Amino acid sequence: MMKKIVFLFLVAFSATCFSQKNIPNINVTTLKGKSVSIESQLSKDKVTVLAFWATWCVPCINELDAISDVYEDWQEETGVAIIAMSTDDSRTQKRIKPMINGKGWDYQILLDKNQELKRALNITLIPHVVVLKGNEIVFRHTGYAPGAEDELYEVIKKHSK
Amino acid sequence: MKKSIPIIILLISFVSFSQEDHGISYGFESNSQYYMDDSKTGDFLDSNRFRSNNFFKIDYSYKNFYAGLQVESYEPKAMLNYSPNLDKTNLGLYYLGYKTDKIEFTLGHFYEQFGSGLILRSWEDRQLGINNALRGGRFKYSPKEYLHFTSFYANQRKGFAVSNGNIIGFNSDFDISSALGFENSSFSAGFSYVGRSQEKTETNFDYNNNTDLFSSRLEFSKDNFYSNVEYVSKGKDAVIIQNQIKNAKKGAALLANFGYAKKGLGINATFRRMENMNLFSDREANGNIFNESVVNYLPALTKQHDYLLTNIYVYQAQPQVSFQDPTLVKSGEIGGQIDVFYKLKKGTFLGGKYGAKVALNFSSWHGLKADYDFAGFDYETELFGFGQKYFSDLSLEVRKKWSKQWNTIFYYVNQSYNKRYIEETFGEINANIFVSEATYKMGKGKSLRFEAQLLATDDDRKNWAGATVEFNATSKLAVYINDIYNYGNDDVDQQIHYYNVGGSYTVGAHRFALNYGRQRGGLICIGGVCRNVPESTGISANITMSF
Repeated sequence: MMKKIVFLFLVAFSATCFSQKNIPNINVTTLKGKSVSIESQLSKDKVTVLAFWATWCVPCINELDAISDVYEDWQEETGVAIIAMSTDDSRTQKRIKPMINGKGWDYQILLDKNQELKRALNITLIPHVVVLKGNEIVFRHTGYAPGAEDELYEVIKKHSK
Repeated sequence: MKKSIPIIILLISFVSFSQEDHGISYGFESNSQYYMDDSKTGDFLDSNRFRSNNFFKIDYSYKNFYAGLQVESYEPKAMLNYSPNLDKTNLGLYYLGYKTDKIEFTLGHFYEQFGSGLILRSWEDRQLGINNALRGGRFKYSPKEYLHFTSFYANQRKGFAVSNGNIIGFNSDFDISSALGFENSSFSAGFSYVGRSQEKTETNFDYNNNTDLFSSRLEFSKDNFYSNVEYVSKGKDAVIIQNQIKNAKKGAALLANFGYAKKGLGINATFRRMENMNLFSDREANGNIFNESVVNYLPALTKQHDYLLTNIYVYQAQPQVSFQDPTLVKSGEIGGQIDVFYKLKKGTFLGGKYGAKVALNFSSWHGLKADYDFAGFDYETELFGFGQKYFSDLSLEVRKKWSKQWNTIFYYVNQSYNKRYIEETFGEINANIFVSEATYKMGKGKSLRFEAQLLATDDDRKNWAGATVEFNATSKLAVYINDIYNYGNDDVDQQIHYYNVGGSYTVGAHRFALNYGRQRGGLICIGGVCRNVPESTGISANITMSF
C-alpha cells in the first residue's frame, strides 16, 4: 500500500518538474447564468486571485470580509482582481446573490456549480486561494487564519511587479 | 491497481513529449482514525482499530486533451460506517477527454449535473463517502455561445464497481436573452431527460424497465430582481417498502425561487414540493443508508448551520414514500425557506464605526397532504396541501466588528424537529440555541477565538452546553479545544462530555491535522446530505495536499 502511494508520488513529482502550471480549461458560470471559460475571465498581464468559497463556509467568509475592507487599496496599488469562486451546490446557490449584496462585496463572483474547477485543481478544502499571473498558477494556499490576508497581499505585490 | 499502471505510463509519455501547452495537477487526501475504548461510551467492538481512507488523484491536460485518474485506498479497512463496498486499494476513477469551445468528449468517469440536480447530479463527497460518478461516454456540444447540449450513456459508480441499471441523459440550456441580444434582462430556459433502465421484477404492479424523468426550467432576472422555476415529472416506478415492491406510482417535483438583491440588502425565497422523487441507479438500492446509487440530488433546503449544537437536530429532505404504521405514512414533502441579508451602515446607531451584518433565515417543511390507504400502500395527494409538520428553523445571525482587533458573532436558532417523522423513531423536539463568538486579532496571523453555545430544550436528551477555544499561533499553526456537554440529560450516566482537542499545520496548499476526542454519534451532514456515524473515541489524522 505505502509503496504504491510512494510510487504515485514519484511519478507525480517527476511530472511536475516538467510542467508549466496553467489553469485547466474548465467552464464556470456567471451570476447571470452564462457559461464562460475560466481562462477568459483572467487578466492577461496582471495578477488574478481565485478565492474558492461557499456561503456555508465561515472561514471563507471571514477571509473575503477581511479582504473586502482593504480591497480598494490593493487594487489601487497592484491592479489585482479577486474572483470569488463559489463552490456552492444547488442547495445553497440561491443564497449567493443576496449574501454578496448583503455583505457589500465588490468582487467578481463566478460559480463552480458542480465543483468541476475545484476538482480539476485538486482542491479538497476551502477556503483555498489560487494566485495567477496571466493564466499561470504562481501560488496556492489553503485555510484562513485572521490576518493571513496580509501574507496573501505580499504574494500579490511580488508578482505584480 | 494493475489497471492504473498503463494509464500512468501513458501520462508520463504525454508529459515527456512536450513541455508547452500542458498542465498537471494532483492531490492527495488521507483521513485516518485509531479507535479507542471509552469508559463512558463503551469499548470498540469492531475489527481493526486503525482505519484509513486515502485518495490520490492526478489530472493532466495537453492542448485540448485531458486525462486523469483517482486511486482510493481503504486499508486496512474503511473508517466506521462507510459502505462495505469501499474496501482495499483500487482505481476509483479514470477518464480521458477532448474539449474545445464547441465540443467535448469524455470517456470513463465523469461528474454531471442537470439543472439544480433534481433529476441528475453525480458528485463526490469524501467525508460522506459519496462518489456516484457516472462511467460511460459523454458528448457536449455548444453550437452557439447561448446554446448548450449534453448527452451521455453510463452506469453509476458503486464502491469500485458500477450499477446494474443503465442511465441515459440529455440536457439542453438555452440563453434566450443572449440569443436575442437583450441588454438589461436575462432570460433562459432548460430542458433535460434522464432515463434509468433496469430489468423489472415480475409483480402485479404496472411499471416498465425504463423509468423516465423530465425537467423543464425557466430563469429570469431584471435589475435587482431574479427568479427561476423548475418542474420535474417522474414516470411510473416501483414503490419499494421495506425491500418489497408494494405499488407503482409516478413522482413529481416543483422548485420555485424568487430573489431581490441590491447593495446592502438581499432577500431570497424558495418553495419546493416533492412527491415520490427518489431515484436510484438500481431499484434495490432504495433506502440504503450509505447514500449509494443515488441518481438525483434532493438536499434539505434549510440553513446549513456552523456550530456543534446547531447541528444536533438537522433536517433531511423527505422525498420518499414510506408506510411504517397507519399513523406514520409519507409520500413526500412541501415547504420553503426565506433568507434576508442586510448590512447596517457604518456610522449609524446600530452599525457603529465599522457597520454590522445581519442574516435571517426561516424554513418550514411539512409532509404532503394526502388520502392514504394503508392496507393497499396507496395514496392520493393534494397539489398544494400541507400535511404533518416535519421541521422548522428560525435563525438570526449578527456579525459585528468592534475595532481592528475585535470581531463578534451572535447567533440564535429556534428549531422544531419532528423526530418521529424524520427519523421514523419517536419524539418531537423544540429547542432554542444561543451562540456567541468573539475573535481577537493580535496581528501577523496570530488570533484567539472563543465560542460559547447553549441548547435549551425540554425534549429528547434535554439541555446541552458547549465551548470552543481556538488559537492561531501563526497563519500556519492552529490549535483548538472544544467540548459539548449534555448536562441536562435525565440519565446521569448519559451526561457526557464530547470533547475534542487538536491542531493543524498549513503550508501553502497542504494541511496536516491531528485530533483526539470523543465524537457524538448521530448524523454528520454536509451540504444537506447526512451520514449516520456511531459514537466513537480516538485519535484522527488528516492530510490534504494539492499540487
